[in-house]
Amino acid sequence: MDADEFTVEAVERALQQLYYDPDMDKKNVAQKWLTQAQASPQAWHFCWALLRPDKVPEIQFFGASTLHAKISSHWSDLPPGQLDSLRSQLITQIGQFASGPKLVLTRLCVALASLVLHVLAETWPTAVPDLLCAFQTGESVTEADGQARCLALLELLAVLPEELQSSRIPASRRSQLRSALAVDWSSVCSLLQQLLQRPDAPCPVRERVLRCVSSWLTLDIALKDSEGLLESCLALLKESELFDTAVETIVSIISQPDCQRFADSLLKVVPQVLGLQEQLKKAVQDGDMETSHGICRIAVALGETHCRTLLEQVDHWQGFQALVSMIMSCTGTPGHYPVDETSSSLTLTFWYTLQDDITSLDAERQTLYLQIYRPVYFQLVDVLLQKACFPRDEDYAAWSADDKEQFKTYRVDISDTLMYVYELLGPELLRSLYDKLGTLLTDTTHPSSWQDIEALLFGFQSIAETVDVSYSDVIPGLIGLIPLITANNVQLAETIMFTIGSLAEWLADHSLMLASVLPVVLHGLSNADLSVACVSALKRICRECRHDLHLHANDIMAVSQAVLVKDIHKALGFLLSALPSDEILGKLLSLVTPHIQQLEKLANEPPSSANKLPIVHILGLLSDLFSTFDLNKQSERSEVMRPVQTQPHHNNPVVVVLQQAFPLIQTILSKWLNEPEVVEAVCAVFEKSLKTLLHDFAPLVTQLCELIGQMFSAYPQASALDLTRQLVHIFGCEKDLFSPIIALLELITNITMSIFQLGSRDHPDVVESFMQLHTQALRRKSDLYLSDRLDIKAVFYCGILSFKFPEAPTLKATCLLFTELISHCEEIPAVREVLQEDGKLLLQTLLEAIGGQSPRSLAEHFAEVLFSASCNCPSMLSVWLREALLPPGFPSSHLTTEYKEHFCQQILREQVSKRRMKDIVKEFALLSRGLQGTEYAANY
Amino acid sequence: MAYQLYRNTTLGNSLQESLDELIQTQQITPQLALQVLLQFDKAINTALANRVRNRVNFRGSLNTYRFCDNVWTFVLNDVEFREVTDLVKVDKVKIVACDGKNTGSNAAD
Repeated sequence: MDADEFTVEAVERALQQLYYDPDMDKKNVAQKWLTQAQASPQAWHFCWALLRPDKVPEIQFFGASTLHAKISSHWSDLPPGQLDSLRSQLITQIGQFASGPKLVLTRLCVALASLVLHVLAETWPTAVPDLLCAFQTGESVTEADGQARCLALLELLAVLPEELQSSRIPASRRSQLRSALAVDWSSVCSLLQQLLQRPDAPCPVRERVLRCVSSWLTLDIALKDSEGLLESCLALLKESELFDTAVETIVSIISQPDCQRFADSLLKVVPQVLGLQEQLKKAVQDGDMETSHGICRIAVALGETHCRTLLEQVDHWQGFQALVSMIMSCTGTPGHYPVDETSSSLTLTFWYTLQDDITSLDAERQTLYLQIYRPVYFQLVDVLLQKACFPRDEDYAAWSADDKEQFKTYRVDISDTLMYVYELLGPELLRSLYDKLGTLLTDTTHPSSWQDIEALLFGFQSIAETVDVSYSDVIPGLIGLIPLITANNVQLAETIMFTIGSLAEWLADHSLMLASVLPVVLHGLSNADLSVACVSALKRICRECRHDLHLHANDIMAVSQAVLVKDIHKALGFLLSALPSDEILGKLLSLVTPHIQQLEKLANEPPSSANKLPIVHILGLLSDLFSTFDLNKQSERSEVMRPVQTQPHHNNPVVVVLQQAFPLIQTILSKWLNEPEVVEAVCAVFEKSLKTLLHDFAPLVTQLCELIGQMFSAYPQASALDLTRQLVHIFGCEKDLFSPIIALLELITNITMSIFQLGSRDHPDVVESFMQLHTQALRRKSDLYLSDRLDIKAVFYCGILSFKFPEAPTLKATCLLFTELISHCEEIPAVREVLQEDGKLLLQTLLEAIGGQSPRSLAEHFAEVLFSASCNCPSMLSVWLREALLPPGFPSSHLTTEYKEHFCQQILREQVSKRRMKDIVKEFALLSRGLQGTEYAANY
Repeated sequence: MAYQLYRNTTLGNSLQESLDELIQTQQITPQLALQVLLQFDKAINTALANRVRNRVNFRGSLNTYRFCDNVWTFVLNDVEFREVTDLVKVDKVKIVACDGKNTGSNAAD
C-alpha cells in the first residue's frame, strides 16, 4: 500500500485486511497504514465518505474515529472558515446515526464534544444551548424521529464532560473549560429533570438521563443546583429496572465534596433519605439484598460525607439522629454477612467519621452530643458483636471457602471499629462486656451458645490487642472466667487463646494470674487445630512474662517437647534465657538433646530426599530457639537489638551446646554439602545464634571460620558469604579473634575469584553476597586491604563484571561496593592504583549501565557511585568522564556532544547534594533511552 | 485516573523495565507504553482495594505526620508489626497513604 493514495477505496481495502485477513503480518501492515492514513490531511475528506449509509458499520466506525482523531489531535490543520461547515456536517451525521449503530453514534458524539471543547471558550460560548435547541427542535437534525433525537442528544451531553476528562489539555485550560461548561448546567439540568418527570418517558431515555447526570457531576456541580433533580432520582428508586442506575446517580450527587457549603440544601435531603426507610424495611423483610444494599449506600453516603456539617446544625439534631438510627439499622441488618446480607459492612466507616467529628467539636457541643451518642455507641457495640457471631455449625459448614474468608475479613473490620470505639467509651466498655460474659457463663437457666461467648471474647481481644487495658479493673475477673468456658469448638478455643495472648503485657504486671491461664494454653497445645493460636499465645506470654515463669518452666517445657510445632522453640528461647543461670544449661540440654540425637541418627543414614526434610526441620527448630535465647537482653524489656559491649558471658549455654554439636554439624555438612537447603539451614543456626550472642560467640569463631572455609571450598554458596559478613561485622574490631576471620576472608575471596574466571553468570546470589561482604569489610576494617594477601584490585575487576548482571539486587550491592571502595582511595594505595589504572573502565561500565544496559529504576544507586567519585577523587573523575564519553554514540546515539559536555560539568560540580546528583543521572538515563520529554517518563 | 504510587514496586519497576526495553528496540512507542502504565495503575489500584485480604497490626510512636496534596505521610519510630504468629520490630517506618475512595477527578488533577 502506498502512502500517496489515502483514498476511500484504499482505506476500505486496508480495513478489510485489518478485520478479516487471517495473516497477522498483513493485519499489522494494515494497522500501521491506517494510522498513517488517519494522520494524513486527506483524512479530513475521506472520513465523510466512509460514513455513508451504504457502508458497513466497521467502515462507518473508522470514519467516525478518524473524525475524532482529526478534531482532537490535528485541530490546527483545519482551514480557517471551515468550522461552521464541519459543525453542521457533524450534527447532520449524528442525526443520521441517531437510531444506530450505537458504536458509530457514540464516536460521532465524542468527535462533536471534542470540537465543542476547542471552541467553547473563544468562538462558540453558546455551544450547549445551541445544541440543545438544535436537537430539541429538530431543525438541523431532520433525519431522526423525536425519541432517537432525544437519545442522541443525551449521548452527546453524557460524553461532553467525559471528553473533557480524557482529552489531553493543560490543567489550567481544563479548569477554565470546566467552569465554562458548568455555567450551562442549569439549562441541561432542567431538560434532564423534565425528561425524568415525564410519565411517558421510556426506560432507555431515563437510564441515559441518569448517566448524563453522573457525567456532569464531575464538573463540580453544587448540590443546591441539583436539588430538584435529586428528588426526581429518589422517586425512581421505586422502579426496579432503574434502581441500580438511580442509586449510583444519587450517591454521586450526595457525595459531591462541595455540598457542605450548602447546609440548607443538605437539610432538605435528610428527610428525603429518611423517607426511604419503609422501602428499606420491606426489602430487609423480603430478603431483597440488592434493594437494601442500595438504600444503605445512599444513607451512608449522606452520613459519611456530611456528618460534620449536619452535626453543626445543632437545631436540627433530631433529623440527624434519625439518620444515625437508620444507619444503625443498616449495620444491624439481620442475618450473617456475606451470605444473608451485604449492607452492614458499608456502614463501618460512618461510625469512625461520626466519632471523629463529635470529638473534634467545641467543648459545649461535644458535651451535648456525647449525651446523645454515648448510648448509641453502646448500642453499636451490641450490634457489632451480634454481627460478629459465627453462624450455627451446620450453616457454617455449608458456606463456601470464599464466604468464610469474607466473613473473617468482616470480623477484622468489626474488630478495628470496636478498638476505635473504646477511645470514646473507655473502660466502661470493657466492664459492660465483662458483665455480659459473666451473665452468659453463670446463668444456668438459659444455656448460652458458644457463638455468643466467642463474640464477647472477640470483643475483648479486639480492644486488648492494641489498647493498654491496665486501667480496667475487670481483667482479673475476665481471667477468672476463662477457665469456666467449655471450649468445645475450635473457633471458640482459638479466640480464647488469642484473648490470652492479647493480655500478655497485662500478665507481666500481674504475674500471679499466670497460674490461671497457662494451663489453658498448655492444654490447648495438644490439639493440632489450635497449634497456631496456642503457640502465638505462649510465645507472647514467654516474651512478656519470661522473668516470672520460673515456676512454670518445667510444665511448659514438658508440654512443648511433646508437641513440637512450628515456632514453639521461639517461645522456649524466651523462657529459658530468663531462668536462673544455674538452671539454664541443664534445661537447655534436656530440650535440645533429643533433637541432637535425632540429628545424629539422620546423619548416619545415607543421604536421601526422605531424610533431608527432617534434618532441615530440626536445624530450623534450633535456629528458632537460638534466635530468641538471649542472655544479653535478660534485664531489658525491649527487644530492639543493640550491640552490647559488655564482657562476654563465660560458658554461655548456647555456646556449650553448639560446641558439643559441632562435630555432628560437620558430619552433616560433609554428607549434604551439595544441598543448598541443608547448608542454608546450618548457616541459619549459626547466624541466629551470632545475632543474639554477639560477643559471647567468641569461643566459636575459630572453629566456625574453618567450617565455613571447608563449606565454601567444596561448594560456594551465598549463605556462607553472608555468615562471614556477620562475623566481620561483629568481630571486625577485635584483634585477638580477627586472624581466623582474615584467613577465611582471603580464602573465600580467592575461591570467588575463580568463580568469576570460570563464569559467574549462573551465581548472581554469590556475586551479590560477595559484594556485600567486601563492602562490610571495607567499612569495618579497611586496613585489611593494606596487605598483599587481600587483593582489592581483583575485587575491583569482579565488581566491573558484576555491573553487567541484570539482577537488581546484585547491581545494588555492586554500587554499594564501589561507593565504599572509592571513598578509601586516599588511604589504601592499592585502591588508588587500581582507580588510576582502570578508573576509565569503571566509568565506561557505569555509563553503559546508566545509559540503557541496566534498569532505569537503579539510576539512583549508580548516582551514589558517581557522587562518591566526585567527592573523593574529582580530578581523576574529570579525566575518566571526558575520555569515556568521547566516542560518538557512546553510550547511546541519542546523546549529543554538547549534552555530554554539559553532563560532565554538572557531575563534576556536584559534591554537596546527592539528590541533585540523582536527578542528573536520571536525566542522563532518560535521554540515553530517547525518553526525555515523553509523558511516559515524566509521570515517573 | 488511579494513583501512580504503585509504580515504584517490584511489579511496577519490572513492567517499566520491560516497557523501556520495548521502546529502545522500537517495538512500541512511548505513547503506548504510557497507556500500558496507566492501565497498570488502574489494575493495581483495583486489585489492592478489592482482592487483598491480609491484615497486619502494628503500633509505634508517631514522630511526624503531614497531609499534603491529598497524600498522608506518617513517620513512625519503634514500630512493632504483629502477624498471627510473628512480631517484627523496626526502628523507623514511613507510611505514604492516599484515600482509597478518592480515585475520581481530584486525583486526576
